[in-house]
Amino acid sequence: MTGVVLAAGSGSGIQLSLGWVDYLMLAIYFVVVLGIGFVARRRVRTSMDFFLSGRSLPAWITGLAFVSANLGATEILGMAANGAQYGMATLHYYLIGAVPAMVVLGLFLMPFYYGSKVRSVPEFMLRRYGKGPHLVSAIAFAVSNVLIAGINLYAMAIVIEAMLGWPEWLAIVVSAAFVLAYITLGGLSSAIYNEVMQFFVIIAGLVPLTIVGLNRVGGWDGLVTAFKKTDSVQHLQAWAGTAVGNVTNPLGADWIAIVLGLGFVLSFGYWTSNFTEIQRALSAKNMSAARRTPLIAAFPKLFIPFIVIIPGVIAAAVLGPQLAGKGGSGLTYNDAIPKLIQMYLPSGVLGVAVTGLLASFMAGMAANVSSFNTVFTYDIWQRYIKPKMSDAYYLITGRWVTVVGVVVGIGTAFIAAGASNIMNYLQTLFSFFNAPLFGVFVLGVLWKKMSPAGALWGYVTGIITPAIVFVWYTFVDPKIFNSAAAETMYGAIISFATVLIVGTLVSLVTKPKPIDQLGGLVFGVGKIDVKGDAMVGDQAWYRSPVLLGVIALALCVALYLPFL
Amino acid sequence: MADNETNQKPASQLTDAEKDAAVKSTRRFDLRRIIGALFVVYGVIVLIVGLVDLGGDAETKMTGGIQINIWTGIGMLVLGGLFFLWDRLAPVPAEDIVKNLEREDDAKAAGEGDIEKF
Repeated sequence: MTGVVLAAGSGSGIQLSLGWVDYLMLAIYFVVVLGIGFVARRRVRTSMDFFLSGRSLPAWITGLAFVSANLGATEILGMAANGAQYGMATLHYYLIGAVPAMVVLGLFLMPFYYGSKVRSVPEFMLRRYGKGPHLVSAIAFAVSNVLIAGINLYAMAIVIEAMLGWPEWLAIVVSAAFVLAYITLGGLSSAIYNEVMQFFVIIAGLVPLTIVGLNRVGGWDGLVTAFKKTDSVQHLQAWAGTAVGNVTNPLGADWIAIVLGLGFVLSFGYWTSNFTEIQRALSAKNMSAARRTPLIAAFPKLFIPFIVIIPGVIAAAVLGPQLAGKGGSGLTYNDAIPKLIQMYLPSGVLGVAVTGLLASFMAGMAANVSSFNTVFTYDIWQRYIKPKMSDAYYLITGRWVTVVGVVVGIGTAFIAAGASNIMNYLQTLFSFFNAPLFGVFVLGVLWKKMSPAGALWGYVTGIITPAIVFVWYTFVDPKIFNSAAAETMYGAIISFATVLIVGTLVSLVTKPKPIDQLGGLVFGVGKIDVKGDAMVGDQAWYRSPVLLGVIALALCVALYLPFL
Repeated sequence: MADNETNQKPASQLTDAEKDAAVKSTRRFDLRRIIGALFVVYGVIVLIVGLVDLGGDAETKMTGGIQINIWTGIGMLVLGGLFFLWDRLAPVPAEDIVKNLEREDDAKAAGEGDIEKF
């Protein structure tokens, strides 16, 4: 294959050499995506079709969309960056930091969301507490989501820049326009269909990359030998050096930070109360499908690290200090996967991998935008600004809010461009926004005396304390934590603890919501019918939520074993 | 109430012929067919690239000896075929499609926030 080598933008150390077949595959994908947008548009008849896909999708689609909405740039580039920087310890983000929370969501929490017929997570806060906590959670979600959309957009721009040599700003604007086109056309259905499709394409790109990468470094033994020469072998172990007070692992986190910060607060905060994820389950066709959504998602989640972290580790072994920008390489850890693609994939598979990467960033951004427009339209616009309009009015509003969300996302992409490790930037945002929301949510679901005032004050102080910790670490004393990653974990723990303390104390002295308004919103109050809307086939043994959950948890333990 | 974009009549008044048409159109654009088609097309392209390059060493130099295009091409063809097979064996049930059409009035009420008064 003859490939034209295109010079990358200034300062970048990557240049991909795409042949015409690679461009052909890219073009085919983009045509299919827009085609899905036009087909989905014909089915959008109400605002519920636009925002929640008319609650009509089967579990395999919502389940793959659930995992795929998270499989954006932050996941692919960020987790590979972590793999390169911290090694196999990055497995914690999956096996402790995701799957257990997904199982708990499917088994215990989803009935509250789906059963209460809410259209968003902030709306659940409205039902459980009332207006104050609702407004705070709606605004916090809207702000954090346009910031995260910027991260995905920026990541997409890096790849386009490396591929076509376009300047960063042009790549950002063009990518944004594309996402805008298909979301305004088909709403959530467009977003979800593309998420499922990109899931398979990115896997078809990353599997060959991992195989070739391992082959080139001489297999797993080759990796061990390489790390013995350059870095510590701890790079290949997940739990070594995590003792409290004697932290020697590259992640810089002890087991308390890992288990409580990452595994409990950050992970449960993200997977059980982040609306970008929950929205996928709310679009399922019935309760059974909604509960199975995160459980089906758990299985791909268990195996994704092996095609994301391992390439990152290979990059660390092969490129070593170059990835930290040493020797004028122009590389950062975020470049691990694109750089390996350049080095190892010939024209043909190269087209699949590049298409997969672009598709994944687009889907990541589309997930943020499609949840942002729902919360903004239903929870802010309809609730506080223009209530009691026709459904058609909110459908049009949703399309315009999408435009605004994408434009603001372009602005926040430039903020993301300033972060050296986008995963740490993202986790910092989560410690501000997701951790306190999760605290308020979980107290509200478990404790019927948790009062609206307790929720509001817990929430607000829970946003302020991690912000203080972050400012202190960044500007005053960087020595208080071993690494930026450890800061995000402790920030999350501190935020959650603040919510627990403030929320409980304020609730003890203020009036809770009357018990007759809490049916189906708190554990043990009223009953949620989980079988009322059952469809033919829901009772099959392999669709049992408990069985799926237990298998997923067992695999979590088993997959750690090779990396102790 | 202002109708949006489409001028279709309320779903509750659909005739059997119209219901059949809706079922056909939904099944025609089943996601499994779209993914299946994409993977078959990609599989063929990647496989051809691999076969054309067979014997050349540009590719194997990069991959360390693996014919990666051929293997990926075969893998994608198989996966694409499996999606078509799945679609064939378990099409979307007709009653699901019709039920969704008929829920339009409920969906409008839900969009207006009328289902629950807070």
